[in-house]
Amino acid sequence: MSGWELFTWITVVILGVGSIIVFILFVKDISQILKKFQKEK
Amino acid sequence: MYPIATIDYIIIAVYLMGMVGVGLWFAKKHTNFDDFFLAGRSLTTPLLITTLISTYYGIDVLFGDSQLGFTDGVVAWFGYARPTYAFFIIAAFLLAQRLREEDFKSLPDILDKYYGKNTRYVGAVTSFTYSLPALSLYGFGMLGEVILGWEPVIGMLVLGGIALIYTLTGGFWAVALTDSIQFLFMCVVLALAVPFAMNFIGGFDKMIDMLEPSYFDTMGDLSIWLIIIYASTGLAILVEPTFYQRIFAAKSYKNVRNALIIGIFIWGSYDWIITIIAMAAKTGVIQGILPADVAPDAALLTVMVAALPAGALGLFMAGVLSTEMSTLDSYCLVAGGNVAYDIYKPAIKPDASDDELIKKTRYGILLSWVLGFAMAISFDQMLGLWVFMASILISSVMIPILLGLFVPSFRKPLAGLLSSGLGLLSTVILNIVIMTTGAFDPVEETYIVQWFGIDFLQEFVMYLTVPISLLGFFAGLGLDKGKRS
Repeated sequence: MSGWELFTWITVVILGVGSIIVFILFVKDISQILKKFQKEK
Repeated sequence: MYPIATIDYIIIAVYLMGMVGVGLWFAKKHTNFDDFFLAGRSLTTPLLITTLISTYYGIDVLFGDSQLGFTDGVVAWFGYARPTYAFFIIAAFLLAQRLREEDFKSLPDILDKYYGKNTRYVGAVTSFTYSLPALSLYGFGMLGEVILGWEPVIGMLVLGGIALIYTLTGGFWAVALTDSIQFLFMCVVLALAVPFAMNFIGGFDKMIDMLEPSYFDTMGDLSIWLIIIYASTGLAILVEPTFYQRIFAAKSYKNVRNALIIGIFIWGSYDWIITIIAMAAKTGVIQGILPADVAPDAALLTVMVAALPAGALGLFMAGVLSTEMSTLDSYCLVAGGNVAYDIYKPAIKPDASDDELIKKTRYGILLSWVLGFAMAISFDQMLGLWVFMASILISSVMIPILLGLFVPSFRKPLAGLLSSGLGLLSTVILNIVIMTTGAFDPVEETYIVQWFGIDFLQEFVMYLTVPISLLGFFAGLGLDKGKRS
């Protein structure tokens, strides 16, 4: 496996797994924000 | 139009309806202008990452990067994309903290505080013009045509109209939420596309064997001047209105800093994968499994349509639409805020209530969309238009904002007004002169004019207008005998 290929698969993992982790954290945050939002209303 | 299965159409339709649903859900949920325009200043790190990344990556990046990857190889990442990350680091460690120290709501707010109302209005006009969604709407026209077989105007009206509806109704909450869903679509689908693309061309080694060695030269054939030009486009981040809006909407400076640091890794991966898939498309052309006449900017779509199975293709198409919608919504909202908060309130009705401001922001969003639509259907050369819009932002507000933020003794009204006014005026005049007296070069894809025996590209305008803005600033500083703001 060349260095270019290795680098590509690392970026695939960063983009794929990283974006899913960020989205899970976002869902956690947004549910709390929305609860607070509705409470204020 | 590419052949698409029914399941792909269903996925695209569900995605579009979901976006409208989010906007309508938020329609009546704002309590004040801060809520509508800055999401109550409560954006956390994950929300900032998703909204920053999806906003910055429109199809200009998707197709622009892939075009360069297709024609030149890895230099698309090393020469074009990579320098911008340096500006993100500067923004993360120097700019964001300074911006969060005061209670700003918009970019012209900064100009007002340091230089007074007149400079605010120049900044508001600059920010509004820069934020007009002409390029995004043009992109929707192109996407509607190649994905769904629609006339470009229909694509602009339908796809751009959906983004307009949820931005108008839901404000920044709807923008941030849809951006987050769009972020997931954009990133996951692109990551999943790599194994399909590699399988299609017979593996990564095949690509290395078949492409010219120059495709793997990190600086390619680009001249140092062109690399400097590419790198300097990253300067826009330092005065980007949507970037500033996200800094102001963050819960704290630490959230912004962390979001930018994590974001650089995701941005870098996204750019690299686009480059590699475009190079896979070039390999496919050499192998004869893709048409020989494929246009460089259509390389990414062409290889994906050929490589992805039904269902996955629908997700990819929704991901491409996401890329553009998340850009259009953010810029329309900023433009709307410029009309209501930066011009209407200080110039016409200083005691305007929050409800009035939200209403006027909606008018501003609509106005920016209509003007952007008019530009999208009127201009043939969108790249020239984009260069013009980006150059007025950098030339008009970069000098007064950065000097004002970091050098308190420079905050004199005439300095800000002359710097922003002369920067704006010189950019407009020079761009009009070049676009009317110059010739469009299809190879360079830009307008070129001959001055003193030198080929002067439209992109070079900033090398004149930024020094003009700087000279105006120091001239104003010398002439203004009053106290600093």
